[in-house]
Amino acid sequence: MPTSAPTPFDYEAAVLACARGERFAFRALYERECAWLLGVAMRIVRDRERAEDVLHDAFLQVWQSAATFQPALGSARGWLYTIVRHRALKEIRDHGRSLAVDPVELGEMSDRQQATAGGDDDRGLDPHALERCLQRLEPARRDCVVHAFVDGFTHEQIAERLQTPLGTIKSWIRRSLASLKECMA
Amino acid sequence: MIEMEAADDRDAAAGEYVLGMLGADDRVAFEAAMVRDDALQSAVYDWQDRLLPLSVRTGPVAPRPQLWQRIDIGLTAVLSSSDPKPRPSTPPTPRDAWWRRLAPWQALSAFAVAASLVMGVVLVEKIANRPAAGDRYLALLQSPDDRSTGWVVEVDAGRGVRLVPVVPGTPPPAGKSLQFWTKPQGAAGPTSLGLVRAGERRELPVAMLPGVGEQQLFEITLEPEGGSPLGRPTGPILYVGRTVHL
Repeated sequence: MPTSAPTPFDYEAAVLACARGERFAFRALYERECAWLLGVAMRIVRDRERAEDVLHDAFLQVWQSAATFQPALGSARGWLYTIVRHRALKEIRDHGRSLAVDPVELGEMSDRQQATAGGDDDRGLDPHALERCLQRLEPARRDCVVHAFVDGFTHEQIAERLQTPLGTIKSWIRRSLASLKECMA
Repeated sequence: MIEMEAADDRDAAAGEYVLGMLGADDRVAFEAAMVRDDALQSAVYDWQDRLLPLSVRTGPVAPRPQLWQRIDIGLTAVLSSSDPKPRPSTPPTPRDAWWRRLAPWQALSAFAVAASLVMGVVLVEKIANRPAAGDRYLALLQSPDDRSTGWVVEVDAGRGVRLVPVVPGTPPPAGKSLQFWTKPQGAAGPTSLGLVRAGERRELPVAMLPGVGEQQLFEITLEPEGGSPLGRPTGPILYVGRTVHL
Protein backbone atom coordinates (compact mmCIF):
# COMPACT_ATOMS: atom_id res chain seq x y z
CA MET A 1 0.00 0.00 0.00
CA PRO A 2 1.43 3.40 -0.85
CA THR A 3 2.14 5.50 2.18
CA SER A 4 3.42 9.04 2.23
CA ALA A 5 4.40 9.07 5.87
CA PRO A 6 4.83 6.28 8.36
CA THR A 7 1.65 5.95 10.34
CA PRO A 8 2.16 5.02 13.95
CA PHE A 9 -0.92 2.84 14.06
CA ASP A 10 -0.23 -0.76 13.06
CA TYR A 11 -3.43 -1.88 11.37
CA GLU A 12 -2.10 -5.33 10.58
CA ALA A 13 -1.14 -5.96 14.21
CA ALA A 14 -4.55 -4.72 15.33
CA VAL A 15 -6.45 -7.09 13.06
CA LEU A 16 -4.21 -10.00 14.04
CA ALA A 17 -4.84 -9.16 17.69
CA CYS A 18 -8.58 -9.20 17.01
CA ALA A 19 -8.12 -12.70 15.61
CA ARG A 20 -6.56 -13.65 18.95
CA GLY A 21 -9.57 -12.27 20.76
CA GLU A 22 -8.02 -9.05 22.04
CA ARG A 23 -10.87 -6.61 22.46
CA PHE A 24 -8.60 -3.69 23.17
CA ALA A 25 -7.15 -3.93 19.66
CA PHE A 26 -10.67 -4.04 18.26
CA ARG A 27 -11.54 -0.86 20.12
CA ALA A 28 -8.37 0.81 18.92
CA LEU A 29 -9.15 -0.10 15.32
CA TYR A 30 -12.63 1.33 15.70
CA GLU A 31 -11.42 4.55 17.29
CA ARG A 32 -8.85 4.98 14.58
CA GLU A 33 -11.04 4.46 11.52
CA CYS A 34 -14.69 4.83 12.50
CA ALA A 35 -15.18 8.38 11.26
CA TRP A 36 -13.62 7.71 7.85
CA LEU A 37 -15.51 4.46 7.50
CA LEU A 38 -18.77 6.14 8.43
CA GLY A 39 -18.08 8.72 5.73
CA VAL A 40 -17.59 5.95 3.18
CA ALA A 41 -20.73 4.08 4.29
CA MET A 42 -22.87 7.24 4.40
CA ARG A 43 -21.92 8.16 0.89
CA ILE A 44 -23.17 4.78 -0.31
CA VAL A 45 -26.35 4.39 1.75
CA ARG A 46 -27.14 8.15 2.02
CA ASP A 47 -28.53 7.94 5.49
CA ARG A 48 -26.74 8.39 8.77
CA GLU A 49 -28.81 5.94 10.78
CA ARG A 50 -28.41 3.21 8.20
CA ALA A 51 -24.72 3.98 7.77
CA GLU A 52 -24.23 3.46 11.49
CA ASP A 53 -26.07 0.15 11.21
CA VAL A 54 -23.71 -0.79 8.40
CA LEU A 55 -20.71 0.07 10.55
CA HIS A 56 -22.13 -1.93 13.45
CA ASP A 57 -22.55 -5.04 11.32
CA ALA A 58 -19.25 -4.52 9.54
CA PHE A 59 -17.26 -4.24 12.77
CA LEU A 60 -18.79 -7.40 14.17
CA GLN A 61 -17.86 -9.05 10.89
CA VAL A 62 -14.32 -7.68 11.24
CA TRP A 63 -14.06 -9.32 14.66
CA GLN A 64 -15.47 -12.61 13.47
CA SER A 65 -13.44 -12.85 10.30
CA ALA A 66 -10.21 -11.28 11.58
CA ALA A 67 -8.58 -14.71 11.43
CA THR A 68 -9.14 -14.83 7.67
CA PHE A 69 -7.11 -11.65 7.10
CA GLN A 70 -3.86 -12.53 5.33
CA PRO A 71 -1.18 -9.97 6.09
CA ALA A 72 1.15 -11.47 3.49
CA LEU A 73 -1.26 -10.52 0.70
CA GLY A 74 -2.11 -6.92 1.47
CA SER A 75 -2.91 -4.22 3.97
CA ALA A 76 -5.35 -4.56 6.84
CA ARG A 77 -6.86 -1.23 5.92
CA GLY A 78 -7.68 -2.36 2.39
CA TRP A 79 -9.30 -5.45 3.91
CA LEU A 80 -11.25 -3.35 6.43
CA TYR A 81 -12.60 -0.89 3.85
CA THR A 82 -13.70 -3.74 1.61
CA ILE A 83 -15.72 -5.24 4.46
CA VAL A 84 -17.41 -1.91 5.20
CA ARG A 85 -18.06 -1.04 1.55
CA HIS A 86 -19.46 -4.48 0.82
CA ARG A 87 -21.71 -4.24 3.87
CA ALA A 88 -22.96 -0.86 2.72
CA LEU A 89 -23.61 -2.22 -0.78
CA LYS A 90 -25.48 -5.19 0.68
CA GLU A 91 -27.62 -2.75 2.65
CA ILE A 92 -28.71 -0.85 -0.46
CA ARG A 93 -29.12 -4.02 -2.49
CA ASP A 94 -31.35 -5.56 0.17
CA HIS A 95 -33.29 -2.50 1.23
CA GLY A 96 -32.84 0.11 -1.44
CA ARG A 97 -31.03 3.38 -1.27
CA SER A 98 -32.21 6.42 0.61
CA LEU A 99 -32.43 9.36 -1.71
CA ALA A 100 -32.07 12.16 0.76
CA VAL A 101 -29.55 13.76 -1.54
CA ASP A 102 -30.51 14.83 -5.01
CA PRO A 103 -28.60 12.84 -7.66
CA VAL A 104 -27.55 15.98 -9.50
CA GLU A 105 -26.25 17.49 -6.31
CA LEU A 106 -24.38 14.27 -5.64
CA GLY A 107 -22.78 14.47 -9.03
CA GLU A 108 -21.56 17.96 -8.31
CA MET A 109 -20.33 16.87 -4.93
CA SER A 110 -18.40 14.08 -6.59
CA ASP A 111 -16.87 16.47 -9.11
CA ARG A 112 -15.91 18.89 -6.40
CA GLN A 113 -14.18 16.20 -4.45
CA GLN A 114 -12.54 14.94 -7.56
CA ALA A 115 -11.09 18.38 -8.14
CA THR A 116 -9.71 18.57 -4.64
CA ALA A 117 -8.68 14.95 -4.36
CA GLY A 118 -5.02 14.25 -4.25
CA GLY A 119 -4.48 16.65 -1.40
CA ASP A 120 -2.66 15.77 1.75
CA ASP A 121 -4.20 13.13 3.85
CA ASP A 122 -3.36 12.78 7.49
CA ARG A 123 -4.04 9.08 7.54
CA GLY A 124 -0.87 7.92 5.88
CA LEU A 125 -2.71 7.11 2.67
CA ASP A 126 -1.05 8.32 -0.46
CA PRO A 127 -3.68 9.01 -3.11
CA HIS A 128 -1.18 10.49 -5.56
CA ALA A 129 -0.24 7.34 -7.46
CA LEU A 130 -3.86 6.36 -7.96
CA GLU A 131 -4.87 9.93 -8.84
CA ARG A 132 -2.07 10.23 -11.37
CA CYS A 133 -3.21 7.02 -13.02
CA LEU A 134 -6.87 8.04 -12.88
CA GLN A 135 -5.97 11.30 -14.62
CA ARG A 136 -4.59 9.30 -17.52
CA LEU A 137 -8.01 7.79 -18.17
CA GLU A 138 -10.58 9.57 -20.30
CA PRO A 139 -12.85 11.58 -17.98
CA ALA A 140 -15.94 9.46 -18.65
CA ARG A 141 -14.07 6.24 -17.96
CA ARG A 142 -12.52 7.70 -14.84
CA ASP A 143 -15.99 8.66 -13.62
CA CYS A 144 -17.12 5.05 -13.98
CA VAL A 145 -14.49 3.79 -11.54
CA VAL A 146 -14.95 6.66 -9.12
CA HIS A 147 -18.74 6.34 -9.07
CA ALA A 148 -18.45 2.62 -8.55
CA PHE A 149 -16.09 2.93 -5.60
CA VAL A 150 -17.26 6.13 -3.95
CA ASP A 151 -20.99 6.04 -4.65
CA GLY A 152 -21.40 2.30 -4.90
CA PHE A 153 -23.20 2.63 -8.23
CA THR A 154 -24.00 -0.44 -10.29
CA HIS A 155 -23.19 -0.74 -13.98
CA GLU A 156 -26.82 0.11 -14.72
CA GLN A 157 -26.81 3.24 -12.57
CA ILE A 158 -23.61 4.46 -14.18
CA ALA A 159 -25.01 3.78 -17.65
CA GLU A 160 -28.06 5.84 -16.79
CA ARG A 161 -26.06 8.69 -15.31
CA LEU A 162 -23.65 8.87 -18.21
CA GLN A 163 -26.35 8.21 -20.83
CA THR A 164 -24.19 5.45 -22.26
CA PRO A 165 -25.12 1.88 -23.24
CA LEU A 166 -24.66 -0.70 -20.52
CA GLY A 167 -22.29 -2.85 -22.61
CA THR A 168 -20.05 0.16 -23.17
CA ILE A 169 -19.94 0.90 -19.44
CA LYS A 170 -19.03 -2.69 -18.64
CA SER A 171 -16.20 -2.65 -21.12
CA TRP A 172 -15.00 0.80 -19.99
CA ILE A 173 -14.78 -0.37 -16.40
CA ARG A 174 -12.85 -3.51 -17.28
CA ARG A 175 -10.43 -1.58 -19.46
CA SER A 176 -10.07 1.18 -16.91
CA LEU A 177 -9.18 -1.35 -14.23
CA ALA A 178 -6.60 -2.94 -16.55
CA SER A 179 -5.08 0.49 -17.27
CA LEU A 180 -4.96 1.37 -13.57
CA LYS A 181 -3.26 -1.88 -12.76
CA GLU A 182 -0.66 -1.35 -15.42
CA CYS A 183 -0.11 2.28 -14.50
CA MET A 184 0.28 1.51 -10.79
CA ALA A 185 2.53 -1.50 -11.26
CA MET B 1 -21.86 -15.57 -16.04
CA ILE B 2 -18.57 -14.05 -15.14
CA GLU B 3 -15.59 -14.87 -17.33
CA MET B 4 -12.84 -16.45 -15.25
CA GLU B 5 -10.74 -18.32 -17.80
CA ALA B 6 -8.11 -15.87 -19.01
CA ALA B 7 -5.77 -14.21 -16.51
CA ASP B 8 -6.98 -10.75 -17.57
CA ASP B 9 -10.58 -11.74 -16.97
CA ARG B 10 -9.77 -13.09 -13.56
CA ASP B 11 -7.96 -9.93 -12.61
CA ALA B 12 -10.76 -7.72 -13.89
CA ALA B 13 -13.26 -9.85 -11.99
CA ALA B 14 -11.17 -9.38 -8.82
CA GLY B 15 -11.26 -5.61 -9.37
CA GLU B 16 -15.00 -5.61 -9.93
CA TYR B 17 -15.49 -7.81 -6.91
CA VAL B 18 -13.62 -5.31 -4.72
CA LEU B 19 -15.59 -2.45 -6.26
CA GLY B 20 -18.76 -4.37 -5.46
CA MET B 21 -19.95 -4.44 -9.06
CA LEU B 22 -20.53 -8.15 -9.53
CA GLY B 23 -24.15 -9.27 -9.69
CA ALA B 24 -25.42 -11.59 -6.99
CA ASP B 25 -24.72 -14.83 -8.87
CA ASP B 26 -21.30 -13.75 -10.05
CA ARG B 27 -20.41 -12.61 -6.56
CA VAL B 28 -21.30 -15.97 -5.07
CA ALA B 29 -19.37 -17.77 -7.81
CA PHE B 30 -16.39 -15.49 -7.34
CA GLU B 31 -16.29 -15.96 -3.58
CA ALA B 32 -16.49 -19.72 -4.00
CA ALA B 33 -13.61 -19.64 -6.49
CA MET B 34 -11.57 -17.40 -4.20
CA VAL B 35 -11.66 -19.93 -1.36
CA ARG B 36 -9.83 -22.46 -3.50
CA ASP B 37 -7.64 -20.09 -5.45
CA ASP B 38 -4.74 -18.35 -3.74
CA ALA B 39 -3.88 -16.30 -6.83
CA LEU B 40 -7.41 -14.94 -6.97
CA GLN B 41 -7.26 -14.00 -3.28
CA SER B 42 -3.99 -12.28 -3.92
CA ALA B 43 -5.54 -10.33 -6.81
CA VAL B 44 -8.36 -9.22 -4.50
CA TYR B 45 -5.92 -7.93 -1.89
CA ASP B 46 -4.02 -6.08 -4.62
CA TRP B 47 -7.20 -4.36 -5.78
CA GLN B 48 -8.19 -3.50 -2.22
CA ASP B 49 -4.93 -1.66 -1.79
CA ARG B 50 -4.91 -0.06 -5.24
CA LEU B 51 -8.38 1.42 -4.80
CA LEU B 52 -8.13 2.23 -1.09
CA PRO B 53 -6.95 5.84 -1.67
CA LEU B 54 -10.35 6.58 -3.25
CA SER B 55 -11.71 6.43 0.28
CA VAL B 56 -10.22 9.88 0.92
CA ARG B 57 -12.86 11.34 -1.40
CA THR B 58 -15.47 11.00 1.27
CA GLY B 59 -14.59 12.96 4.35
CA PRO B 60 -14.89 11.73 7.92
CA VAL B 61 -18.25 11.73 9.70
CA ALA B 62 -18.03 11.28 13.45
CA PRO B 63 -20.30 8.48 14.63
CA ARG B 64 -22.49 9.06 17.65
CA PRO B 65 -20.98 7.67 20.86
CA GLN B 66 -23.79 5.12 21.12
CA LEU B 67 -22.45 3.35 18.06
CA TRP B 68 -19.44 1.99 19.92
CA GLN B 69 -21.68 0.95 22.81
CA ARG B 70 -23.89 -0.98 20.39
CA ILE B 71 -20.90 -2.65 18.78
CA ASP B 72 -19.44 -3.52 22.17
CA ILE B 73 -22.72 -5.06 23.29
CA GLY B 74 -22.95 -6.95 20.01
CA LEU B 75 -19.43 -8.23 20.51
CA THR B 76 -20.22 -9.49 23.99
CA ALA B 77 -23.25 -11.28 22.56
CA VAL B 78 -21.11 -12.79 19.82
CA LEU B 79 -18.56 -13.96 22.36
CA SER B 80 -21.10 -15.50 24.70
CA SER B 81 -23.06 -17.26 21.98
CA SER B 82 -20.16 -18.38 19.84
CA ASP B 83 -19.18 -21.98 19.59
CA PRO B 84 -16.31 -22.40 22.02
CA LYS B 85 -14.18 -24.38 19.62
CA PRO B 86 -11.51 -22.42 17.78
CA ARG B 87 -12.77 -20.60 14.76
CA PRO B 88 -11.92 -22.96 11.92
CA SER B 89 -10.11 -20.43 9.80
CA THR B 90 -7.88 -19.34 12.66
CA PRO B 91 -4.32 -20.29 11.90
CA PRO B 92 -3.46 -22.04 15.15
CA THR B 93 -0.26 -21.03 16.82
CA PRO B 94 1.29 -23.20 19.48
CA ARG B 95 1.11 -20.39 21.97
CA ASP B 96 -2.54 -19.68 21.44
CA ALA B 97 -4.18 -23.00 20.78
CA TRP B 98 -4.28 -24.21 24.33
CA TRP B 99 -5.76 -21.02 25.68
CA ARG B 100 -8.77 -21.55 23.53
CA ARG B 101 -9.29 -24.92 25.07
CA LEU B 102 -10.28 -23.09 28.21
CA ALA B 103 -13.52 -22.03 26.62
CA PRO B 104 -15.37 -25.35 26.89
CA TRP B 105 -14.91 -25.23 30.63
CA GLN B 106 -16.89 -22.05 30.84
CA ALA B 107 -20.01 -24.12 30.36
CA LEU B 108 -19.26 -25.99 33.54
CA SER B 109 -19.41 -23.02 35.86
CA ALA B 110 -21.75 -24.95 38.14
CA PHE B 111 -18.87 -27.28 38.79
CA ALA B 112 -16.31 -24.56 38.90
CA VAL B 113 -13.96 -26.08 41.42
CA ALA B 114 -13.86 -29.51 39.85
CA ALA B 115 -13.62 -27.97 36.43
CA SER B 116 -10.74 -25.80 37.46
CA LEU B 117 -8.82 -28.75 38.81
CA VAL B 118 -9.31 -30.75 35.64
CA MET B 119 -8.56 -27.70 33.56
CA GLY B 120 -5.31 -27.25 35.41
CA VAL B 121 -4.29 -30.78 34.51
CA VAL B 122 -5.26 -30.25 30.89
CA LEU B 123 -3.30 -27.04 30.77
CA VAL B 124 -0.26 -28.59 32.36
CA GLU B 125 -0.31 -31.31 29.75
CA LYS B 126 -0.66 -28.79 26.96
CA ILE B 127 2.03 -26.52 28.22
CA ALA B 128 4.45 -29.33 28.94
CA ASN B 129 4.76 -29.91 25.21
CA ARG B 130 5.77 -26.36 24.39
CA PRO B 131 9.38 -25.40 23.93
CA ALA B 132 10.80 -23.89 27.07
CA ALA B 133 11.87 -20.26 27.09
CA GLY B 134 12.26 -20.21 30.86
CA ASP B 135 10.54 -21.59 33.93
CA ARG B 136 6.81 -21.44 33.57
CA TYR B 137 4.10 -21.03 36.13
CA LEU B 138 0.35 -21.06 36.02
CA ALA B 139 -2.21 -19.64 38.39
CA LEU B 140 -5.99 -19.91 38.20
CA LEU B 141 -7.57 -16.82 39.70
CA GLN B 142 -10.77 -17.75 41.45
CA SER B 143 -13.52 -15.82 43.12
CA PRO B 144 -13.31 -16.10 46.93
CA ASP B 145 -17.12 -16.12 46.93
CA ASP B 146 -17.99 -19.04 44.71
CA ARG B 147 -14.60 -20.43 43.67
CA SER B 148 -15.41 -19.80 40.01
CA THR B 149 -12.37 -19.26 37.83
CA GLY B 150 -12.32 -15.83 36.24
CA TRP B 151 -8.80 -15.49 34.93
CA VAL B 152 -5.69 -17.51 34.21
CA VAL B 153 -2.20 -16.15 34.75
CA GLU B 154 0.67 -17.64 32.83
CA VAL B 155 4.16 -16.59 33.83
CA ASP B 156 7.07 -17.41 31.63
CA ALA B 157 10.22 -16.35 33.42
CA GLY B 158 11.93 -15.80 30.09
CA ARG B 159 9.12 -13.88 28.43
CA GLY B 160 6.50 -12.29 30.57
CA VAL B 161 3.13 -12.56 32.17
CA ARG B 162 -0.17 -13.17 30.48
CA LEU B 163 -3.47 -12.52 32.20
CA VAL B 164 -6.23 -14.16 30.23
CA PRO B 165 -9.94 -13.92 31.01
CA VAL B 166 -11.75 -17.24 31.14
CA VAL B 167 -15.19 -15.63 31.20
CA PRO B 168 -16.28 -12.39 29.53
CA GLY B 169 -16.55 -10.87 33.03
CA THR B 170 -18.59 -7.97 34.23
CA PRO B 171 -17.17 -4.47 34.04
CA PRO B 172 -16.65 -2.78 37.41
CA PRO B 173 -19.37 -0.41 38.65
CA ALA B 174 -19.06 3.24 37.69
CA GLY B 175 -16.20 4.95 39.47
CA LYS B 176 -14.34 1.69 40.05
CA SER B 177 -11.45 -0.06 38.33
CA LEU B 178 -10.05 -3.58 38.29
CA GLN B 179 -6.44 -3.70 39.47
CA PHE B 180 -4.02 -6.58 39.01
CA TRP B 181 -1.48 -7.40 41.72
CA THR B 182 1.20 -9.91 42.52
CA LYS B 183 3.10 -10.91 45.62
CA PRO B 184 5.92 -13.42 45.41
CA GLN B 185 6.46 -15.75 48.36
CA GLY B 186 8.09 -13.87 51.22
CA ALA B 187 7.53 -10.39 49.74
CA ALA B 188 6.39 -7.72 52.17
CA GLY B 189 3.33 -6.75 50.16
CA PRO B 190 1.67 -6.88 46.77
CA THR B 191 3.00 -4.98 43.78
CA SER B 192 0.58 -3.40 41.33
CA LEU B 193 0.69 -4.71 37.78
CA GLY B 194 -1.72 -2.05 36.60
CA LEU B 195 -5.38 -1.78 35.75
CA VAL B 196 -7.17 -4.39 33.69
CA ARG B 197 -10.46 -4.45 31.87
CA ALA B 198 -13.08 -7.13 32.31
CA GLY B 199 -12.80 -9.72 29.58
CA GLU B 200 -9.58 -8.34 28.13
CA ARG B 201 -6.24 -10.05 28.25
CA ARG B 202 -3.07 -8.30 29.38
CA GLU B 203 0.49 -9.14 28.59
CA LEU B 204 3.28 -7.68 30.67
CA PRO B 205 7.04 -7.94 30.47
CA VAL B 206 8.60 -10.09 33.15
CA ALA B 207 10.62 -7.06 34.27
CA MET B 208 7.44 -5.62 35.81
CA LEU B 209 7.31 -8.44 38.34
CA PRO B 210 9.01 -8.09 41.71
CA GLY B 211 9.93 -11.77 41.38
CA VAL B 212 8.85 -15.01 39.78
CA GLY B 213 8.29 -18.25 41.62
CA GLU B 214 6.08 -20.99 42.89
CA GLN B 215 3.17 -20.14 45.20
CA GLN B 216 3.36 -16.56 43.95
CA LEU B 217 0.11 -14.75 44.59
CA PHE B 218 -1.82 -13.01 41.83
CA GLU B 219 -5.04 -11.19 42.47
CA ILE B 220 -7.51 -8.75 40.99
CA THR B 221 -9.14 -6.29 43.35
CA LEU B 222 -11.86 -3.69 42.98
CA GLU B 223 -10.32 -0.26 43.43
CA PRO B 224 -11.33 3.37 42.98
CA GLU B 225 -11.29 4.54 39.38
CA GLY B 226 -7.70 4.91 38.22
CA GLY B 227 -6.40 2.42 40.77
CA SER B 228 -5.61 2.27 44.44
CA PRO B 229 -4.37 5.61 45.75
CA LEU B 230 -2.27 3.87 48.40
CA GLY B 231 -0.11 1.59 46.25
CA ARG B 232 -1.61 -1.46 47.91
CA PRO B 233 -4.97 -3.15 47.52
CA THR B 234 -7.76 -1.29 49.30
CA GLY B 235 -10.86 -2.95 47.87
CA PRO B 236 -12.35 -6.43 47.92
CA ILE B 237 -10.52 -9.29 46.23
CA LEU B 238 -12.47 -10.37 43.15
CA TYR B 239 -10.16 -13.15 41.99
CA VAL B 240 -7.08 -14.65 43.59
CA GLY B 241 -4.78 -17.60 43.03
CA ARG B 242 -1.24 -18.88 43.49
CA THR B 243 1.13 -20.22 40.88
CA VAL B 244 2.15 -23.78 40.36
CA HIS B 245 5.44 -24.58 38.65
CA LEU B 246 4.97 -26.40 35.37
